[in-house]
Amino acid sequence: MRELSYAEAIREALRQEMQRDERVFIIGEDVGVYGGAFGVTLGLVEEFGEERVIDTPISELGIAGAITGAALTGMRPVGEIMFMDFTTLAMEQLVNQAAKIRFMFGGKAKVPFVLRTPAGSGTGAAAQHSQSLENWFVHVPGLKVVMPSTPYDAKGLLIASIRDDNPVIFIEHKLLYKVKGPVPEEPYTIPLGTAEVKREGRDLTIIATSIMVQRSLEAAQQLAEEGIEVEVIDPRTLKPLDKEPLIRSVMKTGRVLIVHEACKTGGYGGELAAVIAESEAFDYLDAPIIRLAGRDMPISYNRTLEYHTVPQVENIVQAARDLARGRM
Amino acid sequence: MATSVIMPKLEMDQETATVIQWLKQEGETVTKGEPLLVVETSKITIEIEAPASGILAGVRVGPGDVVPVTEVIAYILQPGEELPAELTPEAEPALPPSPAPAPTPDVTPSPPSVSRPATPVAQRLAAAHGLDLSTIVGTGPGGEITKADVEKALAVSQPPAEAQTEKVRATPAARRIARERGVDLSTIAGSGPRGRVQAADVLAAAAGPAAEVARAEVTVIPLQGMRRTIAERMTASYQTAPHITLTVRVDMGAFEEARAQLNARAEATGQPRISVTALLVKAVAQTLRRHPWLNSTLRDQEIHLLPEININVAVALDDGLIVPVVHGADGKSVAEISAEVRDLVARAREGRLTPADVTGGTFTISNLGPFGIEQFTAIINPPQAAILAVGITRPEPVADEEGRVTVRPVMRMTLSADHRIVDGAVAAHFLTDLREVLENPILLLW
Amino acid sequence: MTLSEAKKRELLRQMYTIRAFEEKAEQLYAMGKIHGTMHLSIGMEASAVGSIAALRPDDLILSTHRGHGHCIAKGADLRLMMAEFMGKETGYCRGRGGSMHIADVEGGNLGANGVVGGGIPIAVGVGLSLKMQKRDQIILCFFGDGAANLGPFHEALNMAAIWKLPVVFVCENNQYAMSFSVKKAFPIERISDRAAAYGMPGVTVDGNDLMAVYEAVSQAVKRARSGEGPTLIENVTYRWRGHSKSDANRYRTREEIEAWKQKCPIKRFRARLIEEGILTEEEADRIEQEAYAAVDAAVAFAETSPEPALETIEEGVYA
Repeated sequence: MRELSYAEAIREALRQEMQRDERVFIIGEDVGVYGGAFGVTLGLVEEFGEERVIDTPISELGIAGAITGAALTGMRPVGEIMFMDFTTLAMEQLVNQAAKIRFMFGGKAKVPFVLRTPAGSGTGAAAQHSQSLENWFVHVPGLKVVMPSTPYDAKGLLIASIRDDNPVIFIEHKLLYKVKGPVPEEPYTIPLGTAEVKREGRDLTIIATSIMVQRSLEAAQQLAEEGIEVEVIDPRTLKPLDKEPLIRSVMKTGRVLIVHEACKTGGYGGELAAVIAESEAFDYLDAPIIRLAGRDMPISYNRTLEYHTVPQVENIVQAARDLARGRM
Repeated sequence: MATSVIMPKLEMDQETATVIQWLKQEGETVTKGEPLLVVETSKITIEIEAPASGILAGVRVGPGDVVPVTEVIAYILQPGEELPAELTPEAEPALPPSPAPAPTPDVTPSPPSVSRPATPVAQRLAAAHGLDLSTIVGTGPGGEITKADVEKALAVSQPPAEAQTEKVRATPAARRIARERGVDLSTIAGSGPRGRVQAADVLAAAAGPAAEVARAEVTVIPLQGMRRTIAERMTASYQTAPHITLTVRVDMGAFEEARAQLNARAEATGQPRISVTALLVKAVAQTLRRHPWLNSTLRDQEIHLLPEININVAVALDDGLIVPVVHGADGKSVAEISAEVRDLVARAREGRLTPADVTGGTFTISNLGPFGIEQFTAIINPPQAAILAVGITRPEPVADEEGRVTVRPVMRMTLSADHRIVDGAVAAHFLTDLREVLENPILLLW
Repeated sequence: MTLSEAKKRELLRQMYTIRAFEEKAEQLYAMGKIHGTMHLSIGMEASAVGSIAALRPDDLILSTHRGHGHCIAKGADLRLMMAEFMGKETGYCRGRGGSMHIADVEGGNLGANGVVGGGIPIAVGVGLSLKMQKRDQIILCFFGDGAANLGPFHEALNMAAIWKLPVVFVCENNQYAMSFSVKKAFPIERISDRAAAYGMPGVTVDGNDLMAVYEAVSQAVKRARSGEGPTLIENVTYRWRGHSKSDANRYRTREEIEAWKQKCPIKRFRARLIEEGILTEEEADRIEQEAYAAVDAAVAFAETSPEPALETIEEGVYA
């Protein structure tokens, strides 16, 4: 199959949806001629014009409000917040307004928007441009939270998100933008709320999100050479969460390692651990549920400190090995 | 219904037993099957289990009391239940006739009689823990006993939590499999961190022959005393010391001839015969002098080469194994060693070994030849560096260097050595040197 | 409000130092010695130097992501700046902050900021604090044209105005919020017009004219220090370089950039000093050379400085 980068896959999803549905438009800072801070929307303003690829002032709250209002009245906007860190500026509209409107109005309105935003460290952009704040949104009923880990998933999940009738926070990873993978040319959807087993194994289950899926697959490859067969599962959407595949996998392997980049305390790993502990998989656990996550600290500018602040392949290998061999 | 706790009869000819210690206090909640107290008979010391679940009450014997068997020594009551009048101990003639049962229809046990003032909280707390308030000095106004006083007393009187119950560490999966297959988790040594039992441990235990007959009649022998010591020491040794094992075949012709000569002499002079073991001990001790690494011990990241050569000789008992020591074996004559081993074995079987007889060993010999065993591997007796396993001597066809086959008396011996201390080559040199001595006993004179 | 000749020479030196620092920063990035990104203020030096020249040494500033100039003008140690830039333990932020977060708290620089407009509400708090403590200092808050379209800008200006806080708001209008032109982003000619809505003076000056900037900010500082409240100043200028290292300049023309380069604030101030007889060409050249030499020395210091030790990674998260 043809290969596209993660950024190209997202762009193709945007283009195909804009061709298919004229209610879809893009709005954000520097999404037009600049092409977005990471070049994801490059070329779209030329194809669809400034009316459907709208540059905004630096006004994150304004963007959030604009997509909320437009979605409420018949459009299907795709907003972009340049860095996930800046979603903090948009929180009021996202949390108090967009997430709650349908419920407050007795189900008589809907807010079908997508808010795209890149998260994650590894670019040397330090503490205010490197955060992974997905769990802030997971905690808010009314929002859906999507976190693709491959180009294929990025395209299918973005199209599904655009067609979904709810506000969707679509979290991309900066380091994944250049990662390539097979992507079909025709539009397709991956239903929100479907996890995927990315690699099968019998000794240990790794549940990972976003870039940690890629790192976990790399770790699994190394561990296979040691005779440890790791199963890697990507929930793909954090909310709604597809629990069954996770539970089934843990019942098979009895051991689970949860890997995410966001800080450990209050991170999504706690939720995943609780879901497993509360499920019938509990009786199959042959070791404590282990979380490998970012340190509870901001991201450093210094390259070495930045590297050691979030899980890397070698950390995953080590933790998975110890867990699989009954040493944790 | 109140359940009485009696002093059980444990042995056929037993009449009394002595109370050693109560493991539960009066007023404490107990679960059926939980150890309640420790008693001692003329032969054993044993824990008595609670016959029912409830609250321990009416304890009428204490540590040191000698109690006739079958006598009631306490009761287990249900919450809110009183000690029934008809069960009031008759064994206490001094008790005045009570006018009526004390009316305290409470769910918590009634507080013990109070001879000192105490706050209601202190009374309730003391009652809940079966604590006698008269034993507490109050620090409140007017000597009133306060909650803090009771808590202080409880802290002193209660044994540490760890000693009360030994909870088995096991993963949920291990517990589920144990449940499904009827395996008792407490009998399984866990391979996980802090001894946690994991699924594989249970599966291994379940796959063992013991588990297959588990449904049938099982004779259960508690792992205690010597058995427990052996279990713990051997497990520790096998887990911490990486064992290397080497085997050699020894032509015992000259050895047997030498022993025959010595025994002919002994008979002629009316002295005791020389045992095979004595000669082995002598040969090993002498060889160890030239191989100090085999006579060493690993202590805190340091290898200590030991100046004395003290040889343990494994002695099989009906219910276990003991390894008395021949101290300074390299400096003793064969006759001395022979007499000493004989004495040690005899006293071991009679249970009369002293601590000095079993401590200080630096190397162990285990001889299963008398049992017809040809060859076996022994586990190092920690903290020693090595152990020698000796098999039976019997005629075997042997090819000499020219390829001529003759029948010779052959013995196989296997050395297990701690690889942290001793490498293969070092162990091999020791073993071949020892073989040389055994094949040429004249070298014992060297 | 006149500047001494020595002070004027010093201001020229500061502008050259900023230019030298940023050119060196660019070089180091090109050589792969710096990672992450950086935001250069080349072409905007007069805004930083002229504004801060109006302050007393004990006055405070809040800076932006494009803050190297502010930091240098406020008197920072070039060596510690360069060390921070290279992520070294000896840097102002022990290598944790990098270019975008350089702060020199002791020197009165309360920090560059990675978030557009992030410093404006903080200025209100600083002003309030100075007023409550009856400290005779003021806070000068830099931000860009882009930040003036954020909600926090409006909230902060209003609060500073109603409480008459000792704040000077300096908007460095460099024509583009990343790629978004002020012509598209504002329905008004002058950003300083927004001051009227909050009842404070609003002044727009040629941000490439150091003396004009100095005079406008001096007025505002006087007003702030005397308890009359804040002022909004707009320094109209231009950044020669892209927004950050990843900018392809698709949103503007080469001609436009060239035209602004002709309005170089350093050349302009240098010519003025020579014209006023304060400097000779040779003296001006020497000042320039010394500025570049000082930056080279800072690089040498930074390059030989140690990396942060890995065991210290979690230090500094909590007080």
